[in-house]
Order: sequence, then structure tokens, then C-alpha cells
Amino acid sequence: MVNLQDIKDRAKALLENGEVGAVVGFIESTAGNLASPKFITEADQADGLIWDPTCVHNLALYLVEERKRQTKAAHGHGAAPGGEDKSKRLAIVAKGCDTRAVNVLLQENYFPRDDIHVLGVSCEGTGMVDRYKLAKKLKGLQAEKTEFDGNGYKVTTTSGETVKVAAKDVMADRCLECRHPHPVIFDDEFGEAVEDRGLADAFAAIKTVDEGSTADKWKFWGHHFDRCIRCFACRSVCPMCYCEECVVDSINMHVLQDTSAEEKANRIKWIERSATTSENIGYHLVRAMHLAGRCVDCGECERVCPVNIPVRLLNSVLDFEAKDTFGYDVGMDPGQPSFVSSFRDDDPNDFIR
Amino acid sequence: MEKVLKKDNLRDWVIALSSYEVHAPAFEDEVWNFKQVEKPEDAALDHTNTVKPPKDFSFPQREVYCEFAQKKGEAPMVTETLPALAAPKVVFGVRPCDGRAGPRNDTVFSKEFDDIYYWMRRKKVAQVGLACNTPPSRNCFCTAVGGSPHSEDGLDVLMVDLGDSYLVKALTKVGEEIVKAGGKALGNASAADKKTAAKAKADAEKAPMREIVDIKTVPENLQKNFDSEVWGEMAQACIGCGICTFLCPTCHCFDINDEVTNVTPLRGQRVRTWDNCQFPDFTMHSSGHNPRNTLGARLRQRVCHKFLYFVQNHDTYQCVGCGRCISECPVGIDIVAVVNKVAHDVG
Ligand code: SF4
Ligand code: SF4
Ligand code: SF4
Ligand code: SF4
Repeated sequence: MVNLQDIKDRAKALLENGEVGAVVGFIESTAGNLASPKFITEADQADGLIWDPTCVHNLALYLVEERKRQTKAAHGHGAAPGGEDKSKRLAIVAKGCDTRAVNVLLQENYFPRDDIHVLGVSCEGTGMVDRYKLAKKLKGLQAEKTEFDGNGYKVTTTSGETVKVAAKDVMADRCLECRHPHPVIFDDEFGEAVEDRGLADAFAAIKTVDEGSTADKWKFWGHHFDRCIRCFACRSVCPMCYCEECVVDSINMHVLQDTSAEEKANRIKWIERSATTSENIGYHLVRAMHLAGRCVDCGECERVCPVNIPVRLLNSVLDFEAKDTFGYDVGMDPGQPSFVSSFRDDDPNDFIR
Repeated sequence: MEKVLKKDNLRDWVIALSSYEVHAPAFEDEVWNFKQVEKPEDAALDHTNTVKPPKDFSFPQREVYCEFAQKKGEAPMVTETLPALAAPKVVFGVRPCDGRAGPRNDTVFSKEFDDIYYWMRRKKVAQVGLACNTPPSRNCFCTAVGGSPHSEDGLDVLMVDLGDSYLVKALTKVGEEIVKAGGKALGNASAADKKTAAKAKADAEKAPMREIVDIKTVPENLQKNFDSEVWGEMAQACIGCGICTFLCPTCHCFDINDEVTNVTPLRGQRVRTWDNCQFPDFTMHSSGHNPRNTLGARLRQRVCHKFLYFVQNHDTYQCVGCGRCISECPVGIDIVAVVNKVAHDVG
């Protein structure tokens, strides 16, 4: 079992010894039944760390965000949290999927291994809670807090009742299907590796959608794309979506006195702001393609979507292809060649026609 | 005008409104959202609150201003397009907080001049409110910002759940027409019905909700703590997405773009789309400089717009306390906690 005190103690020690400038971990939020990511910079704040089934976030995102922030700060744009004189190493609390994201970022040389410290936490026999499944289970009651309870969860409602549920009934699909619930890269390890969880087959959800005809799939995705409000939360939460210039918002075109009308007109603007069917499809497909062999199926994109679009299915289909066609398991090892920039002589190619 | 509607008769009222386009909350894909009622028997008012507020009816995410075209060697042609005047809409199940958002948005789109696109739509939308006898979400705080779970502000009709029936109160001329159109589906309200509704209101206003401490001093304190480091600390986890603003019933920032649909011959549309202060290109100057370059500055803009600038400009809070930005924020950033912290807890 994961002992929360061990995580707190380790975080404290890292900060006290000056080994890291901050530990990004989970604290309780005031929003209800959701942990909040927090940059902990003082040892005594480590007591506020929590570990429960609402620690859904993939904190590898903050390794990316912090690096961007520091680059900006170095150029005089806004201060970096954690102060200037602290060591810039950053520690994160990471679940199995999150550690695979760390590996992909390392493969892509986003930051050097030495700059980060991974507090790897095992999901053991369960995983993270899905708010829609839980809401259904609670039949009108609202969850205030969810805690691990063996192979189940203990849910406290806003009206003070305690409800016990089997974890597998309310777990996120990605956790049910998870192939690596134990961290694959870490500096410290918390909890045990549990074999044979037997919760759901890998890629079960995507296989269900994939079974339909092309027309069925268009119907399915057309319905969902039309509902998208293009809040870009799915992009913003993804640790792999780190481009400085995203196809949806052109932020690096600087208009100077001698910029011609032509240059302005030709600035990168591949996808319009309008949340129309064509632009929404453009956005989602570009994102999915850019995640081929990079998406670690942490499911964050789907979890954050305010209108519950199954975004994960779109991205994990390429994860599935990578595995099914090329035997490639994303993010298992920092030394692993990246999926799209490597090949083997015996790679199958009969799908190229 | 006060009437009573048996819950089973909601269907008949909806049928009687056949000259209107009727919308009501529908539960699809595990979320509540407004949807045009196709089968009157499906109309039910057992929703919590919708994820998207009813602001889209007057201020849709995309509005075409005009169309443009140019043939080689000729002058460009611009054609004004106005919102297609569809049938008037009746929107059922509007929560009182969202009702109060209406007059706030009206002010924005009419104070200096009337925004014709907004008003052409807005004039065609009648809002039938549903009072909250219990707060639909643990993050509700309408009472903290001058509202009430039974507020009538901005609504055309208010319905109050009495158990097996609703008390239906017409609040505007349009509201009276809608209630009258219901004909025999609605009966006369008895003194006992009115008493039950008054009791429900009193109880609802006493129900505990999220609280903002000493709201009267919030605007001045936000001003005072404008440069506080706390903004940055509270925004550390922010991912800079558009959830808090796009789902807000009173956020109204927009962007105008020319969207080219054909290059030669040139054809396209000038469109207005929702914009929001959390996106990286918001207030970015053409030089590339952005005065709000950090997440802290963006959070400050969002909160100060609701609780400081709007008060300065229009004498009221812009936030109506629906709690959507709290419940839907992926990382638990909580406007109530931020306001309380920055206004009252900064040294
Ligand atoms: S989070 Fe959902 S609504 Fe927002 S852009 Fe992504 S898919 Fe669209
Ligand atoms: S695409 Fe979605 S599931 Fe994949 S890494 Fe990004 S956030 Fe996680
Ligand atoms: S406050 Fe929350 S909802 Fe708003 S931009 Fe930040 S992460 Fe997104
Ligand atoms: S700021 Fe938040 S709570 Fe206030 S009206 Fe907007 S979404 Fe609702």
C-alpha cells in the first residue's frame, strides 16, 4: 500500500537538502472531489500533500510548463515560481502513465534527466476515478471526497454520507485498460507493483469504436466534433502538446514596421477560430497525428473536456496502431528511439498502397 | 400573473407553444445542456445546471458579420449578413443565476451603442426560469453576489417546484404571453400554492452556499492588491485553457477574424467568435508584446473583470455565482477562494 507519509517525508527531505527547487504534487482543492496540482517550495508545505483517486492530473505537464516559464523569465518575461536562487531541478509526483510521459519527454530531449526528480507512485490494484461514472453511481448525491479503500473507493458526499463503491465500477476507462500501473522511471518508488489486475483488456474502448463501419465512425465523431467548443483544454493539459506555436493560434508572428501586408495575410493560420465542423475536425486530427507514438494514454485530454468528448479514443487509436502494427510501447524507456523518427528493416509496410 | 402547472402537464404547455422554438435542458453524453425539444413528452426539468449557460442564444460562439468577395480586377464586394430571424425561442429550465446574467450582458451590448447582432437574437429569446429549492451544485454562490436561488431578475417567467406541480409566475409581457399560450395546461394558483412557494424561497435563501467574505470591500481590496504575488501563486496550476471563460454566463469577450473560404476568386466571411483572457494571444500586440504575459496576470484579469472593473463601469458584480468555472476547472482553481484570498488574506 502507498504510504502517504513516505511521499511527504521524501518531498520534505528533497526540499530541505536543496536537491530540488520545488516538488509538484497534489493537494486538496476547494472545488470538491478533485486534487489540485501544487508547486511546493517549502518543506513544511509538504504536509499538505495528498494521494487519493482524485489525483488524476499528469504532472509531467508542469515539467514542460516550468521549463517554458524559465525560458521566458530568462528573457525577462515574468518571474518563475520558486524564486531565482533555488536549484532549478523540479520533482513531480507521478503515476505509471505520467512516468511514461516523462520518458517520452526525455526521448525528445525536452529536458535533461538530471533536471528532474520523479516520485513514482504505483496505482496498485486500482486507479483514478471518473467523475461521470461516479456521478451516475451516486444517483443525485454529489461527491465531496474520494479515498482509496482496498480494491474500492470510499466516497464522502456533500451531504455527509459515506458511500463505498467497487473501484472498477467508477474508474476511468484509461485506468481500467492500463498496461503499466506501476511507474516505469523513478528516483523514488512508492507502493507495490500489482500484477494481473484483470480489470479490462488493453485498448478495449477503442476497439469497440473501431469495429463499426466508416459511416458509423463518421457519425460517431461528427456528433462529437460538432459539440466541441474549442476551449483547447485537451491541448493545454497534454504534456506532449508543447509546441511554441500551435496551428490553432499564431502567437509568434510579430508585426513590425516593415512587415508587409502579404506577410501578415500569410501568417500561419491553418485552422480558423470558428468552432465549425471543418475547423474542429482539423484541430482534433492535427492533434491526434502529432501524438502518434507519443500519447501515453494518460487520458487527461478526455478527463478535462467540459462537454465530455471522448478525445482519448482519438489519440489512443494511434497508440494502438503503434503497438499493433509495430510492436511499439510508448514511453517505456528514455533510451527507446522515438516512434516516428525510427524504423527497422522488417517493419511492416503493406499498408502503404 | 401566477398559475399552477401540474408536472404531468408540462408536456401540454410545450405542445401549446408550437409557434415558438422550445429549448430545455437535456442529458446527453453524460452532461446537461440546452437542446431544442423535439418530443414534448421528453421535456423535463430535473436537471442540475447545464454545463453551457444559455448565453449562446443571444451571443453565439460564432456570428457572421458580413461576407466579402472580389473578382480579379474588380472592387471588393461586402454584403452585410444579419442573424437569420428564426422563430422566437422559449428556453425552459434557466437557473436564476443564469437569468441574472442576461441583464449584465445586455448592458455590455448596449451601453455605448446597441450591438445589432446581439439584440436581434436577444429580443427573440424568452427565459423561463426554474428556482433552485436546493443549490444544484456544491459550488453555487448566487447569494454571495447579490442574487437569490429564487431571483426573478432577467427572467420572463419563474417556475417554483412545489412537489407535484410548479408555481408559474409571469414576470414580463413576453412571459405573460407564454403563460397565456399554455391555456388549460395551467390552472389558477391557490393561496396555499403561493404560501408553499414563499416557504421554499425562504428556505432556499437560508441554504448554505459558498461564501465571499465582506463582498462590499472586495473591489477596493482587489485594486489595492493588484500587484500582489498571490495572483501568480494561485495561478501556478492553471493550464491556460478556455473552460472558465467559455462556460461563464457573463464572459463576453470576442475576437473578429476574416475567414477566407476561397482564395481565387476571393471569398470569405468576417466572423466574430468568443475569445477569452486565458488564451496566449489575448491582448497580444501585433509587435508580439503581451502586457498580460503570465498566468497570474490572466487570472487577475478574469477575477478583476468580474469583481472590480465591471463594478467600476456598471455598478454591479459581473459574476452571478453559478459556480461553473469552479466545478469545471481541470485543476481546481476556485474563483471564490481566489477572491477571498486576494481581497482579505494578503499581507
Ligand atoms: S476539451 Fe473538449 S470542448 Fe475543449 S477543445 Fe477539447 S474536445 Fe473541444
Ligand atoms: S493525448 Fe491525451 S491521453 Fe495522450 S498524452 Fe496527451 S493528454 Fe494524455
Ligand atoms: S483557471 Fe482553470 S479553467 Fe481557467 S484557464 Fe486556468 S486551468 Fe483553464
Ligand atoms: S465567474 Fe464563474 S461563478 Fe461567476 S458567473 Fe462566471 S462561471 Fe459563474
